[in-house]
Amino acid sequence: MILALFSLILTIGLYWGAKWCYKTKPKVYLSPLLTTPLLIVAFLLWTHISYESYNTGAQWLSNMLQPATIAFAVPLYKYFNILKKHATEILVSVLSGSVVAIVSSLFLARGLHLNTQIVDSLIPRSVTTPIAMGVSETIGGVPAITAVFVIMTGLMGAVIGPIVIRLLRIENEIARGVLLGTSAHGAGTSKAFEFSSIAGTISSLSMILAALITLCVTPWLMALML
Amino acid sequence: MVTIMKGMGQIILLCVFSLIMNKFVEVLHWKIPGSILGIIVIFVLLQTKIIRLEWIELGAKWLLAELLLFFIPSAVGIIKYQHILVDNGVRVVFVITLSTIIVMACTGLLANKIAERKEQKSS
Repeated sequence: MILALFSLILTIGLYWGAKWCYKTKPKVYLSPLLTTPLLIVAFLLWTHISYESYNTGAQWLSNMLQPATIAFAVPLYKYFNILKKHATEILVSVLSGSVVAIVSSLFLARGLHLNTQIVDSLIPRSVTTPIAMGVSETIGGVPAITAVFVIMTGLMGAVIGPIVIRLLRIENEIARGVLLGTSAHGAGTSKAFEFSSIAGTISSLSMILAALITLCVTPWLMALML
Repeated sequence: MVTIMKGMGQIILLCVFSLIMNKFVEVLHWKIPGSILGIIVIFVLLQTKIIRLEWIELGAKWLLAELLLFFIPSAVGIIKYQHILVDNGVRVVFVITLSTIIVMACTGLLANKIAERKEQKSS
């Protein structure tokens, strides 16, 4: 009980600290999503506390993912007219991007002879964690491993995104948002907000759409490519 | 103080709603996660003006602002799969990086193209 409460406070405390650090020095390697888990992992290894006992308290935070995902209905509602106005480019690009994400992850992973469990855990990696974990479970992956891949994708996307945008000369704010939201879910979306609030909004919409599309097409695509 | 109470209340409301949605998909054996059903239901309720934006706006804003915090325990879960990452880490990073670049190029160029064409049409 005390340990549970301690892990909860430790996680929140380190997160606030990491957030403050990132605010004063916004470098990608200082992203709270990278530094906080690393510090906690180091702490658990050092004190020999098992992940299971850590998670008895920390799972309360994971449980908040569900209501937080539902909260996306609010920006979706508020910016619905922007979505309607740019419906074609958003729908077409997010749909193809999501399919490309699934197919390319599958073929690259298979091509490198990763084992089936890892391949299946990699497939839904580009969408937001709760959905990715759900999809992973349906297709035979390991949800916890998928969660790690999702976070790696987010970090990678936040680093590579601006470079790709510059190299390909993507100057349209809608296109920037779609690119970041489809490829790197929430992490991409927070990067998109650094470009402009339109890019950020479009990015969060793309992220929700990508999640819905991935949820619907993955089992079907998998059956097709076996 | 009033704002804090209001935000907290709204977060609790969203939590309760999320539990109801989970129960709902479980009982009906639906394949979609409760959270996605929740997004759709809340969106429809807002559109049809059955619920007002002010009832959940603040709570939703707070939850979304701290979204990263809720991912941290799952990220710490990596500790259980150390051997998998030690054995396959390089290949996994390669797949993720290359696939992410492909997805970005595809979505970005496509959206850019369609947006440009739209602008040409309207001008």
